[in-house]
Amino acid sequence: MKKLLLTMVLAAFATTGFAADKVRFGTEGAYAPWNFMDDNGKLAGFEIELGAELCRRAKLECEFVVNEWDSIIPNLMAGNYDVIMAGMSVTEKRKETVMFSDEYYPADPSRYAAASGDKFDFDNLKGKKIGAQGATVQAGYLEANLKEGNTIKLYEKPDQSVADLAAGNIDLLLADDSFLKPVVDGSGGNIVFVGPGVQIGGGVALGMRPKDTELAGKMNAALAEVKKDGTLDNMIKEFFKKGPFYATEEKSAMTMESLLKKINALEMRVKELEKK
Amino acid sequence: MDWITNWLANSAIVQDIITLAKPATFNLYFALISIPLGFPFAMLLALGKNSKNRILSTLSKAYIYAFRGSPLFIQFFMFYSFALSLNRSLWKPWGIDEIVLHPLFLGPLVLVLNTSAYAAEIFYGVMRTVPNGQIEAARAIGMNRWQEFWSVTWPNTIRLAWPAYTNEVVFLFHATALVYFTLPVINDQKDLMNKAGELFEKDYNVFLHFSVAALYFVAISMFIFFTFGLVQKYLSRHIRKEERQKFRFKPNYMR
Amino acid sequence: MIESIIESLVNLLGEDWRAGLEYITNGKHMMWYASIRFTLIAAIAGAAFAVLFGLLGAALKQSAIAPLRWIGSFYVNIVRGVPDVLFFLFFPLAFEQFVEYIFSRTRCTAEEIASNAGSWPPCDAAQWYLEGNDYLILACVSFGIVYGAFAANVIHGAMQAVPHGQLEAAQAYGFTKKQVFWRFKVRQMWTYALPGLSNVWMLLLKATSLLSLLQIADIVLWADRLGAPNYLARAGMVHPDWRWKYYLVLFVFYILMTMLSERVFDWLQRRANRGMVEVN
Repeated sequence: MKKLLLTMVLAAFATTGFAADKVRFGTEGAYAPWNFMDDNGKLAGFEIELGAELCRRAKLECEFVVNEWDSIIPNLMAGNYDVIMAGMSVTEKRKETVMFSDEYYPADPSRYAAASGDKFDFDNLKGKKIGAQGATVQAGYLEANLKEGNTIKLYEKPDQSVADLAAGNIDLLLADDSFLKPVVDGSGGNIVFVGPGVQIGGGVALGMRPKDTELAGKMNAALAEVKKDGTLDNMIKEFFKKGPFYATEEKSAMTMESLLKKINALEMRVKELEKK
Repeated sequence: MDWITNWLANSAIVQDIITLAKPATFNLYFALISIPLGFPFAMLLALGKNSKNRILSTLSKAYIYAFRGSPLFIQFFMFYSFALSLNRSLWKPWGIDEIVLHPLFLGPLVLVLNTSAYAAEIFYGVMRTVPNGQIEAARAIGMNRWQEFWSVTWPNTIRLAWPAYTNEVVFLFHATALVYFTLPVINDQKDLMNKAGELFEKDYNVFLHFSVAALYFVAISMFIFFTFGLVQKYLSRHIRKEERQKFRFKPNYMR
Repeated sequence: MIESIIESLVNLLGEDWRAGLEYITNGKHMMWYASIRFTLIAAIAGAAFAVLFGLLGAALKQSAIAPLRWIGSFYVNIVRGVPDVLFFLFFPLAFEQFVEYIFSRTRCTAEEIASNAGSWPPCDAAQWYLEGNDYLILACVSFGIVYGAFAANVIHGAMQAVPHGQLEAAQAYGFTKKQVFWRFKVRQMWTYALPGLSNVWMLLLKATSLLSLLQIADIVLWADRLGAPNYLARAGMVHPDWRWKYYLVLFVFYILMTMLSERVFDWLQRRANRGMVEVN
């Protein structure tokens, strides 16, 4: 028994040594087209390709590990991996624990999906079963705004929520537009978008431990590169058929900067005038 | 006395015991629904396995083997996803989809299917040891099959199987811990494991929260042994004290 | 090789079967079949640990020293008194924290611990990074502890069943108490313990379905991934929710494993009974 414990502790020491070599990316592997398991049993998707590209540019050796969504932040903190890349939108709440990189996908409105033929009064949703994935911005939104009078169902995995919607076990599913689009398109008309979009949360970014500022710097530099040369826009176009979002950013950033400067200058003038 | 109230108010253990009281009722609910429903079903299965009718006994045997030979964890997943796939074609048109897919219905249903297989095996094993002389006596005085069952087989089976059945009930209670690992959680309907896990994710105090959840399981298991022990006493009241099967409070716990 | 098998099966069954056969042999399905290794490793290593802990527990239970006896009884009764899933999840988490506590004694400064109060681990340097295989090892040990408690009871009972005369004879030949215990009691008890141990093995085998709770990519997790509905052609074949079919396969798989185990234990029992006096 003692010997066993000893070997296990030694094994622990051995693995801690390895941990620093590779940068590990935690992803869900069940959120097409962001990250999913393809028919070859390999991780694939927008984020898997983008992650590889970022690592290539930052000259880091990287690997992806699959982790369930609801424990994805705790396990980042516990050191099971170093970066979260799982379609995670930036929110104030998450910022309290996680340090986010610059965004790599702009804020995406959430949409409702329903079985075709069902009618809803979106100004006054009552008595409906509404689903979302647990621990997401959509779950937070439903809990805060629609809990009264409706049943909220939260799922551990995104495909469970889609399965329940298709089976008619929930009336509405609230999720990212980018995730629902292929479901609606591929369902043969059985599942449709309904109601207005809801803007919750910010853009999608990499999540890291707050102390890993060096890694964040490298990632942001690589992100800036892929944004500038259009690589990111091309990937977004390939996977989501949207954009371009970022190739023009530098220009708009310049104008924003100059605008801010002008505003500052004007404020100074006003203050000076007030003094007089 | 102040220090007692103080301690009660500030002790993390007491806080946890209070927080986990409501979740514990969900485990109790699952067990309390499944035990009375599983019992008669198990008896029928045991009779079926013991039956001279070939088809009946083969079917009962296969059922008992399948449910004892596969994990409850898989059974939960299988029945939920199967019920879900029938939702649009059956449950919805019949208007019972709300009930069928609800964990508070489906959980006990699967537990009943599972526990009755284990209990049936216990009853079946005991039925074969019912004293032959008593059966012969029943036949000699001209009882029909039904009378023979009610006055000889049934009381003997219950009495002889009771200690083993008690273990099975405790195991069933332990099995309720699996319900919410496999079925969706609706609103705040959380059981002990669920809530303990949730508390753990907040402060990483695995020793505190899991121990308190374990405490609930141990306490309720002990309560089951106690009450079932009383029943055992009642069942063997006609037997001379020296010959009574001693009810062991330290149970065998083997499923 | 798979291609040629498919080819010959298609020749045998007809062209209609090609698509289906190719689907159930694609990479994702191959990963599923390969993931059986985790189930088997967990069952076999778990059983080995269980026998180890079982022997230890039984030895403690009949120790001459009262506190050791209490420890043995406490272990056997408490672990069996809670659901296996509770202890199965508790042990890896507790062990991880235990290791991190050991680390923190040497790696953390007092200020770090003070500033980190209320969160875990006490400081970053005490962090223990766990990877896939570490979880599997922890799961095996966890199974070993849980089912070791059951095995301890079986072994304890079996040791009691060893005919006293044999042990007295050994003592008379001048073997020490320790020798009598290890060379005679432990060796002779296996025959008596086998039926009970086969029962424990069945429990353990079924419990291996819980591996996915520790995020081990076992057969249950892959079945879930395969059965989940897919609407994106890029991610593979578009199909609705097929999970119940995959769980049905697992249901049958476990029943077959149970049947196989029964056969093996029957054979073992027959072997163990050689040279024993027929009782019935």
